[in-house]
Amino acid sequence: MGNSVSLRFTGAIIASVIFSFLLLLLPLPDEWLLWRPEWIALTFIYWCLKLPKKISIVLAWIAGLFIDVFHGSILGQHALSMVIVVFMSLRLLPRLSISILWHQYALIFLVLGTYLLINLWIMAATGSNPATWQYWLTLFSSLLIWPLYSWVLSFFHIERSRFDEF
Amino acid sequence: MNDIFDHNPQGSLLFKFILLASISATVMVFDYRDTILHPVRTTLTMITYPFKYAVNLPFDTYDYLVDYFNEHSKMAAENRQLRSTLDLYVARNQKYHSIASENIRLRKQLNAIPKIGEELLLAQVLSVSGNTFRRKVTINRGANDHLYTGQVILAGKNIYGQIDSIAPDSAEVMQLTDSDHAIHVVNQTVLKRREKSTDEETKTKDQGRGALAVGTGKTNLLELRNIEANMDIKKGDIYVSSGLGKLYPPGYPVAIVSSIEYNSGDSFMKVMARTLTDFTQTREVLAIWHNKTMMDANQEEPESQLKKNKANEKSTLKK
Repeated sequence: MGNSVSLRFTGAIIASVIFSFLLLLLPLPDEWLLWRPEWIALTFIYWCLKLPKKISIVLAWIAGLFIDVFHGSILGQHALSMVIVVFMSLRLLPRLSISILWHQYALIFLVLGTYLLINLWIMAATGSNPATWQYWLTLFSSLLIWPLYSWVLSFFHIERSRFDEF
Repeated sequence: MNDIFDHNPQGSLLFKFILLASISATVMVFDYRDTILHPVRTTLTMITYPFKYAVNLPFDTYDYLVDYFNEHSKMAAENRQLRSTLDLYVARNQKYHSIASENIRLRKQLNAIPKIGEELLLAQVLSVSGNTFRRKVTINRGANDHLYTGQVILAGKNIYGQIDSIAPDSAEVMQLTDSDHAIHVVNQTVLKRREKSTDEETKTKDQGRGALAVGTGKTNLLELRNIEANMDIKKGDIYVSSGLGKLYPPGYPVAIVSSIEYNSGDSFMKVMARTLTDFTQTREVLAIWHNKTMMDANQEEPESQLKKNKANEKSTLKK
């Protein structure tokens, strides 16, 4: 991107992941729950875009395990899909010019779509199929919240333009 | 980074990806088929409990403050009402004790197994949101309070659900409306209707009034399955738990029929019912011991049970 990005403090990535878990657990009325964005997946995508060298796929796996515990889903379901999120984001990254919002949207759409699809497959295979199209609402809410959420996450790092150093 | 494939980060990523994906797949298979991963889940739940507690805390504090700054007159009125209800219940309880002791005496004469009352524990539902398509909540009591997996949870006098998984200080409760949940129920209203009716034939016909109340995954909505097309059922009928399957105690209200659809030619009706527990409002639930106490009581001699009850009676009379 040309700009040098560094973490605001050590453990900023972990802090942002914990922050996203707080958002995940925030009590919502049932009608809103369908629109809850995939906070944790969005956080990992954000770090993949900003600091692809710092992001750890193992951290994503551990975060996925915790999602499974919070959601009461089968252990390993979200762990697998989170690993896929990070892997896909890192692989798609060089193919897109990521500073353009439109390209970011394309990446998030693809990655989150795969994430939800994998989850849906596993849920269907283990007999807890949501069986409603509303399952996909979360994809659109995630895309809608993305500009705002990426702005919030930008507090976790310092971004210095090349020209600042002169 | 700290791995040996440092010269080839892409290859290292692929290697890690394949490794973690296969671990996940293995874990999933074991979690689905077996119980050996339950300790892992319990440990992770224990780690996450402070987190849930922290999220719950501001909402809890808010409730507390609202209560605290409630108007005095309103509080006093509420207090009066509660006191009168309490008096009513004390009187009823008195009657219950005499009936219970009479019941035990009669059962003893019949050489039957003594039937024992139930024990209850109040627990609080943590206000944290869970999986969108599952109906599970976390409560603030766990194995340390002798709760166990499969234990029945009540909300007031209605059934709330059962414990799905347990950790030392918390438990996951599967609500009645979870799509994986089913409970056998019987129509209570139809019995009353039959008592009133003079027609002898309908009075004796007692078949097929049971149904399976299956969760829909939607809020407060259950589907009653296996209700035959010729069944006597009306909108507003109340279904209570039947006690079949030995998990739920019999006679607890479950749901009220909200819609009945029938396509001619089908052998079953499509009946939807609203739960009597409002899952969006319930913040406090009761854990109930009924199977366990029954088992414990079987070991106890009926004699000592009688003595105990007499002692109880005396103490209540003194009061």
